[in-house]
Amino acid sequence: MALTKVTRFIRPRTLAEAFSALTENQARIIAGGIDVILFPNEATALIDITSLPLSGIEQGSDGITIGATTTLTEVLESSIVKDYLGGVVADALHTVASPLQRNLGTIGGSLVIAHPWSDVITLFLALGARVRYFDGEEHEVPLSDFYARNVHRQKMILTQVELPAFPGESAAAFWKFSRTAFDIAILNCAAFVRIEEGVCAEARIAVGGTPARAAIATAAGEALVGNPLSPATIDAAVAAAQGKVEVRDDMRASADYRRELVATGIRRLFSQVKERLEGSG
Amino acid sequence: MRIEMILNGVRRGFEIEPGDTLLELLRREGYKGVKKGCETGDCGACAVLLDGRAVNSCLVLAAKADGRTVTTVEGLEADGRLSVLQEAFLDAGAVQCGYCTPGMLIAATDLLNRNPHPSEEEIREAISGNLCRCTGYVKQVEAIELAVRRMEGKDV
Repeated sequence: MALTKVTRFIRPRTLAEAFSALTENQARIIAGGIDVILFPNEATALIDITSLPLSGIEQGSDGITIGATTTLTEVLESSIVKDYLGGVVADALHTVASPLQRNLGTIGGSLVIAHPWSDVITLFLALGARVRYFDGEEHEVPLSDFYARNVHRQKMILTQVELPAFPGESAAAFWKFSRTAFDIAILNCAAFVRIEEGVCAEARIAVGGTPARAAIATAAGEALVGNPLSPATIDAAVAAAQGKVEVRDDMRASADYRRELVATGIRRLFSQVKERLEGSG
Repeated sequence: MRIEMILNGVRRGFEIEPGDTLLELLRREGYKGVKKGCETGDCGACAVLLDGRAVNSCLVLAAKADGRTVTTVEGLEADGRLSVLQEAFLDAGAVQCGYCTPGMLIAATDLLNRNPHPSEEEIREAISGNLCRCTGYVKQVEAIELAVRRMEGKDV
């Protein structure tokens, strides 16, 4: 429905111009523009940052960078993304929202708006993504800090997200459970491991839609590090996650149901991770 | 504010409010094939092609269509002839009440433009944002498969 409070539509030419429009007005940054329609607020000016050169995917030596206004479809269709960690990001994005919405929604929008049910955040936390944003000056922080520290996400402009390159034997997986193909997930989770000399040298598990926004399950990751990916190690990670991940009741599911999904999800993640490790080895 | 777009192949200019959605603009201008269903991006009945990609027009601000190409279901036919896909929907009996049909056609057009030989799974994913409340999607999938065979030059 029409946004009757909106009186100005601004197409900035530079990042600085976009940011100054944001600070001077009762304004809101938009990219795909889905959220402003579904969740309107008091904003009277919209600043469409798709007028800025913030779209595109590049392969660098340290990983891949994705511009904030790149659509989810552009990400999942990118050959760079398909080649990254066995295609985990592309595979996951096929299950996010619907194709019609993925053609509009952007990576930056997913990360900034940060709905608690976001699948993208869960996956990117597990991958150890970093984000760049501008709030008068440039910042680069791990995605986990972007939520943990007091970043005022309504008064900044996310410009880029970086997914790190991993040397050697690494794999990741994403899993979600929802009632229909594009309903919001009742729970989602993602895992990343890097293997060195037969044991996990680095491991991250993130769980989201709990129904709170995704967070890294530190204890579950710690249960993996230093151990081989054996059934016993995975049992330990599941037990740690079930003990530590805070789950709650909401209209979609009970806390008990979600606690079961945490276990199911992590087991499914590691069966995918093992398949990918074997496939790449 | 004033915007311009290529709408169904014709350059058009419109005076809009900055908060108007593309769905509202198109229906106001008489493109009633663009259905107003849920208005929350769930049903897909309002789908149009925006620069060739299928989107929910209820989730697009009209201002964002400025300078771009928009195709509604009315624009799928050429020279008074239905597209191969539209013919296939008729021949396969994929139109029941017809409400979801324009959105299905738009989503499937986007698919076939990019991927002329889709698997059944790819077809089902492509129309997963389009709700049909009459059927079980079988006829629509069959219609798209029929269009694929016809575009491959097979005699069906």
